[in-house]
Amino acid sequence: MAKHTQDSADALVVADADELMRPTTRRNFVRVMGAGGAVVLLPGVFSACSTTPGMGATGTGATAMDGGALTFDLRSDIGIFRLVHTLEQLEAAFYTAVVGSASFGTFFNAGERELFTDLRNVEIVHREFLRTALGSQAVPDVTGSINTTTLNAILSSRDGILGAARLFEHLGVSGLNGAGKYLQDARNLLIAGKFVSVEARHAAALRDLAPPSGQSANTAFAGDDIIDMNGMDVKLEAGAALDRVAATNLVRNGAVSSRNISNAPTATQGKASANFFPTTP
Amino acid sequence: MTISHQPILDGVDPEIMDTLVTRRDAIRRGASVSSTVAAGLAMGSVPVMMAALSKDAYAQAPSAILDVLQFAFILESLENEFYKAVLGTSTNSAQNAAFAGVRAQIPASAQQVFRQIQKHEQQHTDFLRGTAIPLFGGTAPSWTANDFDFTGGSGSGNGPFLQATTQLDHLLLVAQAVEDTGVRAYKGQAGRLLVNGDDRADVALESALRIHSVEARHAAKIRRLRRSMNMDDTTLRFSGYVMGGGVAAAGAGNIANPPAGAVAALGLIYGGEDNTVHTVFNGTAAVNLDAATLSGLDVIGDANARRQAAMMAFDEPLSKEQVVAIVRGFIRSDSGHALP
Repeated sequence: MAKHTQDSADALVVADADELMRPTTRRNFVRVMGAGGAVVLLPGVFSACSTTPGMGATGTGATAMDGGALTFDLRSDIGIFRLVHTLEQLEAAFYTAVVGSASFGTFFNAGERELFTDLRNVEIVHREFLRTALGSQAVPDVTGSINTTTLNAILSSRDGILGAARLFEHLGVSGLNGAGKYLQDARNLLIAGKFVSVEARHAAALRDLAPPSGQSANTAFAGDDIIDMNGMDVKLEAGAALDRVAATNLVRNGAVSSRNISNAPTATQGKASANFFPTTP
Repeated sequence: MTISHQPILDGVDPEIMDTLVTRRDAIRRGASVSSTVAAGLAMGSVPVMMAALSKDAYAQAPSAILDVLQFAFILESLENEFYKAVLGTSTNSAQNAAFAGVRAQIPASAQQVFRQIQKHEQQHTDFLRGTAIPLFGGTAPSWTANDFDFTGGSGSGNGPFLQATTQLDHLLLVAQAVEDTGVRAYKGQAGRLLVNGDDRADVALESALRIHSVEARHAAKIRRLRRSMNMDDTTLRFSGYVMGGGVAAAGAGNIANPPAGAVAALGLIYGGEDNTVHTVFNGTAAVNLDAATLSGLDVIGDANARRQAAMMAFDEPLSKEQVVAIVRGFIRSDSGHALP
């Protein structure tokens, strides 16, 4: 996919010149594109691309994530959104578990329960939006790969829940901040932008509610540990973000980690930059 | 893609495309673009010529990026000078004096919040002026405290937000609105910074995204502050979200008799935040999805609850023109600056 301005829909023809530059897919893609009028009608928004090799193809039917079955090909917007879809699935599953846990009413007061319920609802919307958008390219349900021992340990205390929630929201913010430059379509970048500020609101609210150790209650929402000297927020490249997920041990056997990245973004998409992320966000 | 494009695509030889539409660096930097078009024309190939033309349209010239950065600098300067006036640290004594009344009402904890936010706005202006704008060969314009009228009165000092200088509730509402305007402005401009593979554009885009999420943190904190002072106003979510759209999304229920001008301005600032239809591009087609009617949302609740969640789940952009319409009142008409 090549870059589009939001109001240049008629120019879609050319967008795929970039795809054509990919040697393995060049000729086939032109033929696929020729059928473009029809593929619009397929159920998944991104499903047209499932016919194209090398676009991060773990499609419908792949349910086992263990052993690296889940792959992310970050050379396309689809591959990047698949990674985001994975994170949103984990977040939604986590908040669903929090809100549904037996101790939810005792660990948290009414205002805090409102916050967590909002978070659950919004992450579910994100998850379902990406699932629908990705269609056959959507990441299979990851809930079966969640390590219940780890999850239950987190759910057993207020601090455990708050700490895990802070980490997840900051991974969301940092991952999207790092991925934006690799997206190739301005409309998809706008979707990422619509997500990231919402994740940042979560992140700030959670830190405001429960500042990490050493952070002032009045400045933790955007504390000096997560905002750098240029006034900029956390940022991670995809591999680092996935490895942070793996480190939580919330997903069994490290089924979500940097080794799941089959292809990193290319130099023609963008260049990796330094990460900025604290030990305990 | 539309049906009408199919014959053109069918006529494209991928290898020719490869040859003619690969001068990415040149195109990205806005240079020798026309030569690609000319090559297509010379070959008498309409598809290739069209391809080249369209590709040109996607490339952002450095001047477009510079324009975004200069625009961001104006917004950041406005925010920075606003908080300095509120805190009494402006270099302009009249601005400090204007907020003396409300300053005395700000609890120490909220003062600390304002100082932290102001620090970030200062860092943003410093970065834009010292690093980002020069990276693209530009010079940041000079904006001083005296160029702004934080009452929204275009220099009269008697605008619709005058109450913010005397009432804490109103001040916090304005701060929240300023931050959310910033979030929406950056979001609306991000696409203009997208130039894949251009190292400078990468810096501009990533910096803008990282500033953008900091503005969202600010807005969320102020919403939580306001909620803690107005526990019944559930529009002010503890989660920091924007719920709904238009003036209602501002959560101004605690503001007694807001001036019509303030209501109108808040309507612009939060206009369209209730949108639930979003466009994704899949490499072939742009498709609109309504986030409020997706399958799989049942656990959230009834249709109304699902729509509320869908509105909260996506922050919406503002166009440059929309942002200019919002901030115009905050700039003195005799400031000597022309808004873009």
